[in-house]
Amino acid sequence: MTTLIAKTVSKACVPIIILFSISLLLAGHNYPGGGFIGGVMFASAISLLYIVFGLKYIDSLYRYRWDKWFAAGLMLATLTGIGAMVFRYNFLRSTYLTVSLPLLGDIKLISTTLFDLGVYLVVTGSLLFVFKTMGEDE
Amino acid sequence: MDLFTAITLAVFLPFIMAAILPTAEKILKNRVGWYAAAVAFICLLLVAQALPAVVNGETVMGSLPWIPSLGVELSFYGDGLSVMFGLIVSGVGILIMSYSNEYMSKREDLSRYYRYLLMFMGSMLGMVFSSNAIQLFVFWELTSITSFMLIGYWRNRPMSVYGATKSLLVTAGGGIFMLAGFLLLGIITGTFDIATILQNTSMIALIKGHELFLPALVLIIIGAAAKSAQGPFYIWLPNAMEAPTPVSAFLHSATMVKAGIYLVARIHPIFSGTEAWFVLVSGLGIITMLAAGFLAFRQTDIKGILAYSTISQLAYMMAMYGYTSYQYPGIGVAAATFHLFNHATFKACLFLVAGIVAHETATRDITKMGGLRKDMPITFIIGTIAALSMAGVPPLNGFLSKEMFYESSLEMGHILGGPLEYLIPAAAVLGGAFTFAYSIRFIDGIFLGRRRSEHLPKHMHEPTPVMLAPPALLAILVILIGIFPSATVHYIIEPAASGILLEDVHLHVSLWHGFTAALLMTIITFIAGAALYAKYGAIAAWQDRVNARHPAWSFNSLYDRFVDGASGTSTAFAKVMQPGPLRPYLVAMLMIFLLLSAVPAVMVAGTLIPAELNFDVPAYEAVLLGLIVLASLGTAVLKKYLHAIIAVSAVGYLVSLVFIYLQAPDLAITQILVETLATIIFLLVIIKVPQTFRERITRSVLARDLLISSAVSVTVLILLLNASQGIVSPFESLSYYFIENSVPLAGGYNMVNVILVDFRGYDTLGEIVVLCLAGLGVYNLLKSRSDSK
Repeated sequence: MTTLIAKTVSKACVPIIILFSISLLLAGHNYPGGGFIGGVMFASAISLLYIVFGLKYIDSLYRYRWDKWFAAGLMLATLTGIGAMVFRYNFLRSTYLTVSLPLLGDIKLISTTLFDLGVYLVVTGSLLFVFKTMGEDE
Repeated sequence: MDLFTAITLAVFLPFIMAAILPTAEKILKNRVGWYAAAVAFICLLLVAQALPAVVNGETVMGSLPWIPSLGVELSFYGDGLSVMFGLIVSGVGILIMSYSNEYMSKREDLSRYYRYLLMFMGSMLGMVFSSNAIQLFVFWELTSITSFMLIGYWRNRPMSVYGATKSLLVTAGGGIFMLAGFLLLGIITGTFDIATILQNTSMIALIKGHELFLPALVLIIIGAAAKSAQGPFYIWLPNAMEAPTPVSAFLHSATMVKAGIYLVARIHPIFSGTEAWFVLVSGLGIITMLAAGFLAFRQTDIKGILAYSTISQLAYMMAMYGYTSYQYPGIGVAAATFHLFNHATFKACLFLVAGIVAHETATRDITKMGGLRKDMPITFIIGTIAALSMAGVPPLNGFLSKEMFYESSLEMGHILGGPLEYLIPAAAVLGGAFTFAYSIRFIDGIFLGRRRSEHLPKHMHEPTPVMLAPPALLAILVILIGIFPSATVHYIIEPAASGILLEDVHLHVSLWHGFTAALLMTIITFIAGAALYAKYGAIAAWQDRVNARHPAWSFNSLYDRFVDGASGTSTAFAKVMQPGPLRPYLVAMLMIFLLLSAVPAVMVAGTLIPAELNFDVPAYEAVLLGLIVLASLGTAVLKKYLHAIIAVSAVGYLVSLVFIYLQAPDLAITQILVETLATIIFLLVIIKVPQTFRERITRSVLARDLLISSAVSVTVLILLLNASQGIVSPFESLSYYFIENSVPLAGGYNMVNVILVDFRGYDTLGEIVVLCLAGLGVYNLLKSRSDSK
């Protein structure tokens, strides 16, 4: 599948997909989206790169350790839960804060966004980790 | 610092220090043992702070919240008994860790070694200071686990692994029995706090009168016997000698094996003064004492001799703690406690001497040694002092506690009367005679006699002071306690015995107290022991012959058969449960689905098909559904993997279109993305396997599969038809709650996401853990396969 067309198209598409996946993550609380979907979308963007350019080429640019991503994600999600315990609430108890910013108006900052970010990282990391392991397997 | 804080710190400090030990190792390199010894020294100071209080008869108590919502607390209780154990554990710990500096080769993984030693020390301290029975159990099993790690320290030696596994199975398995016993105690009294039970005479009376008294006692004694290698459970201790010798000195002579004795002493006030206590504890002790003492003759490994002697000495203590009567519940308590302390000194010393000898001669076989007194005169003197103390020779500390053992045996025999009046003291003397014989064997075989130069290295010399000082210190202690017992007795033994008996205990121990019956028994012991030693070789040869003739007559072969049988059974079980191909799993899953959903659906709904059916399907949906059916058929029929996979993904994408029609954008996006990734995974896999289905499917299998899948389809159809009529009566829809609360409680308008990350956040956390584990699982499967190639 390493045609010039595929390469050119994916160069243009991958950044957009990644941005979209981040917007899915951040908008998830009120609009369709969320950490899981965002993570899967990010994973598909990267796997597009892997398929079109080949594992070896991407690795020669930068050898990514996806296992670190899901470890970090799991850590973040757990710490979000423990964070509530620091304030003597139950594990994973959520809260939100509304702040007014100039130009942007009222913005709700929700503690579960951090948890969702953890989910995002775990989904991305573990999927790509599996892909890479399978792809490298001889 | 108040005493409770000191004790809590002493328990947790070793764990914290073990965690940062790798960093310390980077700085100290191979001198990291001194760091560990320093930690042990700080623990000793912390524990010693409580000594003045317990000498005055006070106790240290306190608790920290642990799981407050369940009412579980981390509670510590320090009385004379706990403090004595704390002093032994941390004191011997200092010596062992200093000694290890020289004993362990610089090439070993020192960080792992000292980490486990420190963790063991912390667990042991935690156990003896635990007030809560469940907490005691946790620390108890932690000592078993750290012991397992240390016995198996040399991972590449099969015997180490065997010994480690055996010790874990026996001691941790016994711990489970003990836990069951604690649960029974909890059922009887309504509390797991041992200190509360001890201070509450009405609770103790309640336990003694309760019908669960005997089961609880038996279960707890099984746990204690397994840990202290008593009765049939002795088998793990000789195999545990595969550990590095300092570990054997620390865990398997001075501390961990005494955990069972500690437990017996701790529950003494609760259970003693009953016939069952005497029969179980003393009976077990006396039998083990004689059997282990006798079996020690056959051993040619110097550590093996010490292992059997440890079993036999622990059995002395068991027997003494078991001596009880209604009027005098604790006849042998003071004697047992004193012997426990003395045993820790002389046995740890003997192990350290054995370590030196094995280190210098490069063998542990006593038949290859002899005449080492000329090469290592100081080691010879130290070893002789310790061995003579074990044999009960005056003026050493072993003599004092041995005399007290005889006195308490006489008293117990006297109270029981009948033939037991003579049998119990006779058994005690016989046990003492065995001890005398193998103690002499230890000295004679290693240090005296002719030097067997053909087996020994040419140049042997005394070890460095680092290895010599710890046993020398213990040997000096052995002599000092023997000649001036009053300080030790007053500051350590009396508070400990008071802690066990819950009343003030005053002892008068002196080297010479007239010509008593106990002294006479000691003299008989020496004569009988010398006579046994004269026949030593003959007895050992006879034991060898019996063992060779009847290999099945041992608990070891029972254990081996049990363990081998267990792995055979589990293999057979796994063959049934995990056959390998996917089809059997699918069949099982679908059958369970049928059982769980078809049956209740029929029972709840009453009728199979709702009376009114709404079949108003728009044309575009009908086309879509028709395509889905076609694609599904394709997956079942197509011959090539690639085609089948394309058909499967077609089903997935078409379903996502259905979601769009049904106005579920979340689901649609998820479905599309997951389908994409699943297709990629499929393609990654099929590159490496044959491109067509090779398997031949017989007609009967095909018929069975068709039957199951159509039954499942029909069930799902019925469920959907029922669901489309609204929620079936006995249940209420959950969605209203989320519709109402997702904005006010969680501040989000996307209900699905709010449920995922907030209302059911715990589930999501579990799911992402599964995802991580699945990733690691795939990695390990693929990597282990390429390793085995």
